[in-house]
Amino acid sequence: MSLENLILLTGRTINQGVALEGGKTTKENVRAAAICAFDKDDFKKLDCLAGTPVKVSTAFGEVIVYSTISEEGPHPGIIFIPMGPWSNQVVNPSTQGTGTPTFKGMKAKVEVLKNGKVLDALDLIKQLKEA
Amino acid sequence: MVEKKIKTFYDVVCPFCGTLCDDLEVDIDVKENKVIEMRNSCQIGTKKFFSSNPGSHRYLKPRIKDNGSYREVSWDEALDKAADILIKAKRPLLYGFSSTECDAQSRGVELAEILGAILDNTASVCHGPSLLAIQDVGAPLSTLGEYKNRADLVIFWGSNPVHAHPRHLGRYSEFVRGYFRTDGRNDRFIIVVDPRNTHTAQIADLYIRVNPNEDYELLNAIRATLRGTEIDEKEVSGVSKEQIQELVKILREAKFGVIFFGMGLTQTLAHHRNIDTAICLVRELNDYTKFLLCPMRGHYNVAGANQVFTWNTGYAYSIDFSRGYARYNPGEFSSVDLLMKDEVDASLIVASDPASNFPAASVKNMFKHPLISIEPHETPTSAFADVILPAAFAGIECEGTAYRMDKVPIRLRKVKDAPGECLSDKEILERLIEKVKHKLGD
Amino acid sequence: MAEIKLKLKKKPSFPLEVDSITPDNFVGKTAAEIKKLEIYHGKDLVKLGDFFDVSGKSTDLKETTIIIDGDVSRAKRVGENMTGGEIIINSDVGMHVGNQMKGGKITVNGNADDWAGAMMEGGELIINGDAGHYIGSAYRGFWQGMKSGIIRVKGKVGNESMLWAKSSKPSNKWPTLYCGSAGAFLGIHNHGGTIVVEGDVDRCTGADQAWGTIVIKGKISRILPSYKKMGQVDEVELPNGEKIVGKFIEYSGDHSVNKETNGRIYIAV
Repeated sequence: MSLENLILLTGRTINQGVALEGGKTTKENVRAAAICAFDKDDFKKLDCLAGTPVKVSTAFGEVIVYSTISEEGPHPGIIFIPMGPWSNQVVNPSTQGTGTPTFKGMKAKVEVLKNGKVLDALDLIKQLKEA
Repeated sequence: MVEKKIKTFYDVVCPFCGTLCDDLEVDIDVKENKVIEMRNSCQIGTKKFFSSNPGSHRYLKPRIKDNGSYREVSWDEALDKAADILIKAKRPLLYGFSSTECDAQSRGVELAEILGAILDNTASVCHGPSLLAIQDVGAPLSTLGEYKNRADLVIFWGSNPVHAHPRHLGRYSEFVRGYFRTDGRNDRFIIVVDPRNTHTAQIADLYIRVNPNEDYELLNAIRATLRGTEIDEKEVSGVSKEQIQELVKILREAKFGVIFFGMGLTQTLAHHRNIDTAICLVRELNDYTKFLLCPMRGHYNVAGANQVFTWNTGYAYSIDFSRGYARYNPGEFSSVDLLMKDEVDASLIVASDPASNFPAASVKNMFKHPLISIEPHETPTSAFADVILPAAFAGIECEGTAYRMDKVPIRLRKVKDAPGECLSDKEILERLIEKVKHKLGD
Repeated sequence: MAEIKLKLKKKPSFPLEVDSITPDNFVGKTAAEIKKLEIYHGKDLVKLGDFFDVSGKSTDLKETTIIIDGDVSRAKRVGENMTGGEIIINSDVGMHVGNQMKGGKITVNGNADDWAGAMMEGGELIINGDAGHYIGSAYRGFWQGMKSGIIRVKGKVGNESMLWAKSSKPSNKWPTLYCGSAGAFLGIHNHGGTIVVEGDVDRCTGADQAWGTIVIKGKISRILPSYKKMGQVDEVELPNGEKIVGKFIEYSGDHSVNKETNGRIYIAV
């Protein structure tokens, strides 16, 4: 199952904040930041269980994260990935001459994967270095 | 005399977010040099203090990467290698500085100047646009104490303090009693503007849903309506004309309004122009009532980095020293832009984690070149560094000054000693400057 | 016309800052003296001759024509502050080309990077490709930008072009940008600049315009809510006297700045 024409927002969550202070290379951080929160009704269209890995793609890259149902909805058409190395695979690096990348508002699409592996932070960066 | 096994520190300042809470209580096991209990801090602050305890994630000795694996070395050897990397580079980048105290930031400026390097801090990816806007149109600002005591209308625009500044609402903006707001929450009207119905929005009095990336048009429509122009459109950015007119009425009739704004405005398209128009709106509202604004700074001392850089160089971030004097131009000398063009050939990362927080393509280029990390514990940046210089946690293991989001300076406390051979960021940078000066023959 | 030819002979590993390449700096010098002029390669202070072959000379500023060949897409600040003469660049060029120029003419036969023509006070800057962001704009912290002169961009300009442009009726100075199409925030904080776009523009055109004239012959993605439709016109007369014939809808604004305003956007029907 897949969803298209979504808008991806990124940002802080308290869990991501707690996890990053506890160690950005821990499993706790993966569970806090390697997730994508969907609007309740949008999620039904994906037809999968919460926690299933999904692939989020934008014009700037793609990343596999765990799916969750948002507690900050309704926000149909919007998905949210907490800030961190996972969301940074898919944000817009262009600053339009201002110095600050465009971390929010990218057009995105999501696909449920049969065999998707969510990488931890270090493996994600390692993969980036080797690409 | 019974020796005290547990020492309690009062009025400790929390080194996490820009709210810079100054009422924490910390219990330290004196013998073990460990934090054993925290009171008053939020979840994140608590975690930070506990994470300073010796554990598998803390660096205790300097390390150098040799053939893919790390070996522990002496400070002298590590600093020597770091100095060599920086001197050899033709366009080195000194980045970070937001999670350390002001004296260390000041040393960073000195080092950048000696090296002819690029000097930047995390404002570059965060509230840099706010600074750009302030440089264009000024900013009506005040301090958190004033907002706590006076504001009867509080607006969070593109900001979600429940998640990012957990105690802000309880200490300054929503649930606290103020001198003129004696009934606390009931004396305030809270508005949240956000594309999502965030947890902050869920407890507000009015939630305005705005389309992502269309905040500028909404602010523009509000300003025009305030000036007495009736807009032609029926709806702007997902908000109806009636809602806009109603909102303008609320704004004008407040006794004292404040807009707290965050990444929803700085990190979306239009960046600093969102802030520019928000500032102009606030300025124009002062024709009718008292209105101010406040950027919700993320790191506890990014405001301090901007202060220190500014009073030393004239500029707050994205500074280039390559021609022997300070020049400023975000977009040209900002870290992400430089890294995207692969223009940097060595980096010194101090008290920050760009591998986690920069777009992937820039991180990839950053790791193509030597990287020195001054960091207390393992992060995705330090885990791939060529030289790791272990630092003490400022605000926990060493004193210093930090600036709150409203630019009030507060003195950080030291509640315990740093473990192992950790040194403070300031000490590390001072020793690095010595090495560099010596090698350059000064 | 006295030509001075520059040819890039070594590829730079870091951006070059070549603010010494101006007709003002070259006039009256021999090729050997021009080669000794200083430029920056990253943080290294080097000589122009380290990166360029130089030939020719000129004794009259007005007659001086500098022709640059080779890929100078990483060369910043070409023509900075020049007051006369001409520069022809036969490739893409780096940031800040023609910044603060007061007279003379620069032609870029390629694309220009950000900040082309920034703080311009006179002369003509022609870009025969696309241009980056902040074309004809003010530098950070300045509240007056381009004061006079003409910029012509055949292709697209990026965001925030003509930021803080400032005209002067008493001095008859009308900073003007002609471009093929434009990104967002065209003419932001405009204080009298004139902009004519042959094609389409992105959002927030004329944001915070205090006064000025923006003519769009293509389409606008959406006009700001603070602009009010006035009516239709068959012709637009620009402050510099030029007349553009065609059916346009006239909008006044930016009304978030002023309730009454002489600022105008004209959009082709």
